[in-house]
Order: sequence, then structure tokens, then C-alpha cells
Amino acid sequence: MRTQAGLRATVGALAAIFWKGIKHYTRYPGNFLLYLALPFLFTFMIFGMGQFVGGGNAASNFAARTGTSNILVYEILGSAVWMTSWVVVEDVGVALRDEQMKGTLEQNFLAPINRFTLLVGLSLCDIVITTGIFFIVAGVTIAITFPSGFLGLFGAFLALLIGLVPLFGIGFLFAGFVVKFKEPYVFTQIINLVFATLTGTYYPVTFLPYWVQLLSGILPQTYVIQNMRLIVLENQTLVSLYGSFFILLVLALAYPILGYAIFKQIEKRASVTGEFSKY
Amino acid sequence: MNSRNTDQLRIIEEFKAAFLKDLRSYLRYPAWLLGDFISTPLWFFFFAIGVALFAPTTQSSTGASEGPGLQYFYMGFVFIILFSTAVWGIGQSVRNEQMAGTLEQFFLSPVNRVILIIGRWARVFLTDSIIIGYTTLLVYLLGGGLVRLLNPVLFLFALGLYEVGLIGFGLLFAGLTIRLKSYNTISNLVFFSYMILTGALFPITFIPMPFRYVSMAIPFTYFIDLMRNAALATPTILPESWEYLTASLLSVSMLLVGFVAFNKIEEEARMRGSIATS
Repeated sequence: MRTQAGLRATVGALAAIFWKGIKHYTRYPGNFLLYLALPFLFTFMIFGMGQFVGGGNAASNFAARTGTSNILVYEILGSAVWMTSWVVVEDVGVALRDEQMKGTLEQNFLAPINRFTLLVGLSLCDIVITTGIFFIVAGVTIAITFPSGFLGLFGAFLALLIGLVPLFGIGFLFAGFVVKFKEPYVFTQIINLVFATLTGTYYPVTFLPYWVQLLSGILPQTYVIQNMRLIVLENQTLVSLYGSFFILLVLALAYPILGYAIFKQIEKRASVTGEFSKY
Repeated sequence: MNSRNTDQLRIIEEFKAAFLKDLRSYLRYPAWLLGDFISTPLWFFFFAIGVALFAPTTQSSTGASEGPGLQYFYMGFVFIILFSTAVWGIGQSVRNEQMAGTLEQFFLSPVNRVILIIGRWARVFLTDSIIIGYTTLLVYLLGGGLVRLLNPVLFLFALGLYEVGLIGFGLLFAGLTIRLKSYNTISNLVFFSYMILTGALFPITFIPMPFRYVSMAIPFTYFIDLMRNAALATPTILPESWEYLTASLLSVSMLLVGFVAFNKIEEEARMRGSIATS
């Protein structure tokens, strides 16, 4: 039997986990289609309700509060980012629980790879999935309704890529909680909703009470959504938004370290108490 | 006469057993309870803030508007919670048993399947009513003007029609879960389509014309239109008496269709041996 060691083994393991994730998505395409449909459905709902509440002045009221009259692009960018965080929470956070339910978590943990590789492998698949969601949802909407902002889409995508790193860190943290507290779907439901509410998915975070804005400030999606809107709708450049990108980079460093440290701590305790096989 | 009484008693006992079984199961997972109590009002506030961006600028900047739009929206939110009883309450009950590997035992018991499913509906209806009550209290405390109920009697009558229709729809959906395995995707799509197409959150006059015909072909559009009319005195789609008649017929028809469809799908699944295939 031939064994591999070092970098080559890690890359092999990452590739295997990545392809497993991709196969899962291609085998159950309904999940991916749902991620594509939800941003439009939510945006349409908000838009419809907004038209009813605001009447003939709905668009001007919106513009007065957000600084843009392009309601569709404003809302769809927020929706697309929300869906990416939804994917990460569902996939990275809940993946270990799914393995636990299927009885395959022990085999995964017994494989000669470290846990960080396992978690990063899960995240790699999500980079492809979230990229697909972003370009199909936001890209198509912008190309059709706001072609002059299309070039900004690439800057917006860069913001998303940087924002994914801290999000994966949150996913690691979540994975740890799921191993400990079991009930992942309740956590998922609440976390997705809290992210949507706090990060300004459909409104500027300045609309929230001040103390809530403090919580928004520690979530990476808040900066991703803000930056995307500024880049696409107001032609801002990555350079002019350097302050916000700097915070995003700090979060990109802090969350994975914090998330993995907490995950390891919970994992260590679970291996002593035998929590892994309990569900 | 005696055997009729015995039958009725048996049905009540079956219903009670199904209801208690589901209630016990629900209370055994307090995280679900907590999740429902946190996420339900959060969904409302999340959408309310988004919608408040469109409201006239003279209203409160927190979105706690007292205008008819947000009252309409709050009522729609209640309809959505109730609709979820059909999709995730009744429909998913079969899927849950299928996933847990207990569906065969469930179906082998000498009990009417529909009664078992209605027992589940009763539990979901009870817990959803508590959640609606709690959220209503919360919304009332934050902005009292959002909660109005002008004609409680008519509202309860329309709610009854809606619930009967929901049970029928839930039975149909429960049947579909035996046949279709990607249940979550389908239920999510049905759920969000309901939110947009039935006028739950905004009047169907805001839906572009070809799609409005689809809205008018969905029975739920009329149930919620009547409930809203009773609560907020909003104009009805059809003349009021005609709409009550139409809604009553639709409600009973939905129950019958759901009942027949569920039994037929179950029978086919028994022949194919696919009842417990997950």
C-alpha cells in the first residue's frame, strides 16, 4: 500500500473533499436552484410590499433613504451576499452534523488528515458554489437591468472573495457548536436570519438602532454588501474603499483563527466524552 | 347507533393519541421551541425594516409605521405562519417518519392515516397560534396600531375556511412526499410562491397582469382576502357574498381532493413498495 505525506497528501485530501461536495450538489441540483431562486423571490416580495406601502412615491422614498433609485440592483446585491452566507452556514456548519447522522463522521475523523484540511476542503467547494450564485444572481441582473455597472461586478466579486474567508471562519465556529449542541437546523435558521437582519441585506445598516449597528460591524457580510453597492452603483474603486477592505482583511484573519480554535476545543472535549457518535 | 358511537369515540381517541405523540415529540426538543420563538418575530422585523425604506419619509425611521400598508403586511405574516402548518406541519410529517424509519410502523397501526396526520396538524396549529399570539403581543407593545381585528366573528369563519383548505392541501402535500424525495426544495418553492402570488403580503393588483390570473386561480388568495377584509375592512376581490360562497366551495373541495389524492398515492406506493424509500 502506498501512502502520501506532506503537501501532496494535503492537496489530494482537499481535492477529494472538494469533489465530494461538488458531486453532492450535482446529485441534488434542487438545493442549488433554490439558492438561485430565493434572492429573486425575496427581492420581489420586498419590492411588492414596498410599492404597496409607499404607493406612487415608493421609489423616491427608497432613493431618499438609500441614495440610489436602482432598487433592483441594490436589493439583489444584498440578497446574493445573504445567499452566500446561507450556503457557508449550511455546508460548512452543518456538514459535520450530516456526517454524524449518517454515521460517517468517525470514519472522516479517523482518516489520516487533520481537521483543518477537512474544514478547508468543505469551504473550497463553497467557493465554487457561491461564485456561481453570485454571477448568476447578481451578474445576470446587472447585465440586464444596469449594464453600465457591469464592470463593477468584478470589483464586487473581489469583495465577496475576501468576505468569504471570515465567513468560513464563522462556519468553523458553527461546526463546533453543532458537534456540541446537536440541533443544527435551529441554529441554521436563527443564524441565517440574524445575518440577514444585521448585515443590511435589504436596507442600510444605519437604519438599525445604534447598539445593533455595533453587532453589524463585526460581521463581514456588512462590509461586503456595503462595498458591493458602492462599487456597482456609485462607481467607487477598491482603492477608495481601502478602510472598509482593511477591516474585512482583519476579520479574514481573526475569524478563521478564532473559529478553528473554538472548533478544536469543542472537538477535544467531544473526543473525551464520546459526543461524536451521539445524536 | 352503538357502533356509530364507538366509531366516533375511536376517532377521537386516535386523534388524541396522534396529537399527544406529536406534542411530546415537539417538547422533547426545546431548541425547536426556542428557535420558533426567536425566528418568527425576527422574520417579521427583517421584512418590516426592508419595507419601511419605501414608506413615506414622515413616518418613524425605525420602520414602526402605523399605516395601512404595515397592518396589511402584519396580517400577511400571520397567513404565512398558518400556511407553513400545511407545508411543514402536515406535509413534512410523513417525510419525517420516512427519514426516521418509523413510517411502516405508523402505517401498520390499525388507525386511519388521515386522522394521524390531522393530529399532527392540530399540534402545529396549537404551537403556531401560541407563536402568533406572542409575536402579536410583541408587535402590539412596539407599535400598537399594527394590530387590528374589526370583525372577529367573520375573521374566525374565514380562518375556518382557510384551515380546512390547508388540511386538504397538507394531505395532498403529504402524499407528494411519499412520491417525491427532494421535499425541502419543493416545499420552499411552494412556500415562497405562495407568499408572492396569493396577495398575502401585498394586494394582487400589484402583480403584473398575466401572473395575476395565476393568483386568482389559487384558492388561498380568497381565504386570506376574506380574513383581511374581516380584520381590516379592505375591499374584496369578488363581491363579498360571492367571495364567501366561492371560498366555502373551494375549502370543502380542497379537503376532498387532498383526502382522495393522499389515499390514492398511498395505495400506489404500497403496490410499488416505495412507502418507506427515503
